[in-house]
Amino acid sequence: MKDIARQSMSIKVESMDMLNAQIKMEAHASASYLAMASWCEQNGFFTSAKFFFKQAEEEREHMMKIFNFLVDTGGSPMSPEITNINHDYASIVDVFESTLDHEVKVTKSIHNIVKKARELGDIATERFLDWFVMEQVEEENTIRDILDMISVTGTEGVGLQMIDNQVANWME
Amino acid sequence: MVEINRSKYYSFHQATADRAFHIDFGHKTIRLPLCQLLSLRHKLKTIAIEDHFDGDLNKHGFEILLLCNKEHLFILNTLEILDLTELVESSLVKLGLAQPAQVALV
Ligand SMILES: [Fe+2]
Ligand SMILES: [Fe+2]
Repeated sequence: MKDIARQSMSIKVESMDMLNAQIKMEAHASASYLAMASWCEQNGFFTSAKFFFKQAEEEREHMMKIFNFLVDTGGSPMSPEITNINHDYASIVDVFESTLDHEVKVTKSIHNIVKKARELGDIATERFLDWFVMEQVEEENTIRDILDMISVTGTEGVGLQMIDNQVANWME
Repeated sequence: MVEINRSKYYSFHQATADRAFHIDFGHKTIRLPLCQLLSLRHKLKTIAIEDHFDGDLNKHGFEILLLCNKEHLFILNTLEILDLTELVESSLVKLGLAQPAQVALV
């Protein structure tokens, strides 16, 4: 008997479920960064707004990378439903701290999928996620550097404006 | 047609001629390529089965399943939904696409 199942799909169903959940997480990140861009625009942090517009786009690219991987492997990618986007932030520091929290959550989630894929013997999924593991190292590092810059600059007087201007250093 | 799996109400087969699976519902057999099988699995997964035990949320304990791009419509009761879920999940395990579940589904 032909192995139609394996011929139709080259990853495990469990991996597909986890990757669909990750699609949702990336989409949620994209939407959250768009909300942050909106907050920055409204509060006069125009460089930071640009930074978050760009982050929002990048997160959508991450989502599409996973989406296309599921297409390539014969899985069933699901267009995610996104709810619960926070638009309220106490300060620009709060915005960047929330960003770091979110990125750490994403990193943990990716690591978790790598571990489970390894358990399942799903080498394709495990290898596919290599890029994401390294991308998360970079993303976390960027936000940590910005938070360091914020604490060195301080938020007194013209500090806030200087912080916003310096965010440009982290936009290639 | 080769039988791969069987549950209380349904049976799961693989076609010998075309690249598809078939589920025999008793009164009717439907053809599912793997993508449709995954889609059926997703629909079953998103059913709030706990609502069946709440008279306000799902008064009659039925679910309407629209399958294969709206080609087939099924109205199934609680036990049939649980049985079909078990059939689909264990068939995927038998096909080597999924791991055996850590906990029993029903
Ligand atoms: Fe991401
Ligand atoms: Fe990110």
